[in-house]
Amino acid sequence: MTRLASVLNRVWAGYCSRLPQILYSLLMQPTTLRFIGFSNFFVRISVLAVMYSGSAFAAELSVGANVGNVPWEFQDENGDYVGFEIDLVTEVGRRLDMNVEIINIPFSGLFSAVQSGRIDIAISSITITERRLESVAFVQPYYDSAQSLTVDSGSDITSLDDMRGKVVAVDTGSTGDIWTLENASRFGFSEIRRFEGLVPAMLDVQSGRVDGYISDIPGLEYFIRDKPYFKVVQRIETGERYSMVLARGNPLADQVNNVISELKRSGFVAELHRSWFGSVPLASSSTVSVVDRPISASVGGRDGGFAQTFLNWSVLLNSMPLLLSGFGITLLLGAIGILCGLVLGLFLSLVRLYGVWPASLATKVYIDIFRSIPILVLLIVVYYAPPFAGIQLSAFTAAAIALTLVSAAYTAEIFRAGIEAIPAGQFEACRALSLSYRHTMTDVILPQAVRVVIPPLTNNCINVIKDTALASVVAMPDLLKQANQAQALEANPTPLIAAAFIYIALLWPLVGLVGRLEQRFRQEYYR
Amino acid sequence: MTAIVSIKNLSKQFGNFDALAGVNLEINEGEVVCILGPSGSGKSTLIRCINQLEDFDSASEVKIGGIDITAGKTVRADVGMVFQSFNLFPHMTIRENINLAPLRVKRMSEQQANAIADGLMRRVGIAAQAEKYPSQLSGGQQQRVAIARVLAMEPRVILFDEPTSALDPEMVGEVLDVMRDMAKSGVTMLVVTHEMGFARQVADRVIFMDAGKIVEAGKPAQIFDEPSQQRTRDFVNAVLQQ
Repeated sequence: MTRLASVLNRVWAGYCSRLPQILYSLLMQPTTLRFIGFSNFFVRISVLAVMYSGSAFAAELSVGANVGNVPWEFQDENGDYVGFEIDLVTEVGRRLDMNVEIINIPFSGLFSAVQSGRIDIAISSITITERRLESVAFVQPYYDSAQSLTVDSGSDITSLDDMRGKVVAVDTGSTGDIWTLENASRFGFSEIRRFEGLVPAMLDVQSGRVDGYISDIPGLEYFIRDKPYFKVVQRIETGERYSMVLARGNPLADQVNNVISELKRSGFVAELHRSWFGSVPLASSSTVSVVDRPISASVGGRDGGFAQTFLNWSVLLNSMPLLLSGFGITLLLGAIGILCGLVLGLFLSLVRLYGVWPASLATKVYIDIFRSIPILVLLIVVYYAPPFAGIQLSAFTAAAIALTLVSAAYTAEIFRAGIEAIPAGQFEACRALSLSYRHTMTDVILPQAVRVVIPPLTNNCINVIKDTALASVVAMPDLLKQANQAQALEANPTPLIAAAFIYIALLWPLVGLVGRLEQRFRQEYYR
Repeated sequence: MTAIVSIKNLSKQFGNFDALAGVNLEINEGEVVCILGPSGSGKSTLIRCINQLEDFDSASEVKIGGIDITAGKTVRADVGMVFQSFNLFPHMTIRENINLAPLRVKRMSEQQANAIADGLMRRVGIAAQAEKYPSQLSGGQQQRVAIARVLAMEPRVILFDEPTSALDPEMVGEVLDVMRDMAKSGVTMLVVTHEMGFARQVADRVIFMDAGKIVEAGKPAQIFDEPSQQRTRDFVNAVLQQ
């Protein structure tokens, strides 16, 4: 018992001391902020579409970066953008006589931002791959990288060979993701979980939900330098090299490439390496020696036209399996959230209306709190807080719980309004006929209330289904998540457009259904 | 004669307002009693208290069939009520409206309940409307459905709360006809009404209420033709002159 108490004590102390920081860092993550509104998803697409024709001003060099990607691009304590690639691209801009403007864009959105002309250059330790070369252009590489396996310090895992049957975390659409997919059967990973950045992935390594994290080695080594509770146990040679991404056919690519050649010859890039990593790069590395611009091996590639970019048939076919599996998760999660929310919401509304006053008050407080809390915040709390108390919830369970809790609060208010809309005479007639409370509700009040509440209830269902998109923040492979991954793998935004159409195809009939039901119930007895 | 309803010193306040101020009343089996009085005189409150739709002062005593409902006992199945605004269940057909309580409260079989409903619908003249919804019926028809719904439970006394006040004038007659038939067949009835003709013709006893009290009670002829109280006389004259 004493042992148990001391364990609980430690867990509680750790929970209290770290939770605020963890929540803060999660919420301040650009990737997290992006998910706060689902509508952003559509806004982003429309922005891409609108910006497609127009290019940035000549004197401005817009650079997109996934800020927070240490030590390449991140914010220092003053909020200024700093990092290896920030320094490099700023110097490139200076030499081209252009003003560099850094725009914070999540990794999986960088490629479409380049293709649409929203930004001129994308940086974020982007690895040159053959597939990406079909859609975008790279300048010469300036860093030779590798992947790495990071685990919790207390773990027994010492190499990839120990990962058989284990859960591995990766960043959505990254080269770590690609490598892990290709080598999944060789090392026998039981599951690949996809995260939107390093911090949430590392939190799950710490909580034990995932056993190891495969990601770019420089970022990991930089991140864990002051965190002894993590260790990098294996360097995975992939021969990958980082470079900057531009749109295919952008004449700026050659100019930037030439400037980088100059910067390598003058030792500027090697000096950056020394200042950010504390070591001098090898003379044979791409950080020091000038190399050719990578060119796509396949003939033609994608020319970057509107249809090729946004409605690319081959990309669509490639990404269809991913999208469909994501669609399945979205449907399942939505259905659970709606059904459980319905049952719990009905119960809450009855307690609120007819319960003894302490129960009624508690219900009112519950409803008010859960209607005001953003689902995303709740999701993060439900997912990340219980492990500190020793309770392990899967991402799916956490997402289902968060959706249910919020959906129930809205449903309860809808039912309450529906029941209160029933005239008092209906209750009196039931009492005069000696009907029990249960029969009064099930036979008379609720059937009428349901007709009143069907339209607002269906609207709530639509919201729940849309909110499933937030689950991707806890690495649930829902539709939006899969679309993002497919988009990053293909370096093409077609999967996002396809996802938008799938959402519309799913929700449009629901919207239509509301109208038809409203009409039917009106005709039935309120003539 | 046994008293089905026995009320002693029934009082009720709404805030500072005395809705009922010490009402004493007995209703015997098979008796038809009509309650008259200006609005706000407490007549609706009186019958709502009998049906436990309102609480009343604990010093009062209300007995239904000898059982004291002041003590919290429920004998509601012995008391039926017809409302001014019908209060039919709009999402159910006429038949379903009538069958609901027999099925749920008396736990009759569907067959049994249907047989009773068929008889009642013929009796109140709405057999042809059985499968329609209340909104498809006229006000008079709806009130007759409400009466059939109450009769299906075979209560020992039926309370009527201004059953014709919400009806168009041409429909008042058909509802009163049904009530007249019920009275003839021996149903115990307590009727709050403004229909003087009905009261004079059907009632065994007429009660005049004002300010939460029974002012005068007696045979119809006595109340209408030779009331002993000035207030009764004023009220009757005012109504008859309309």
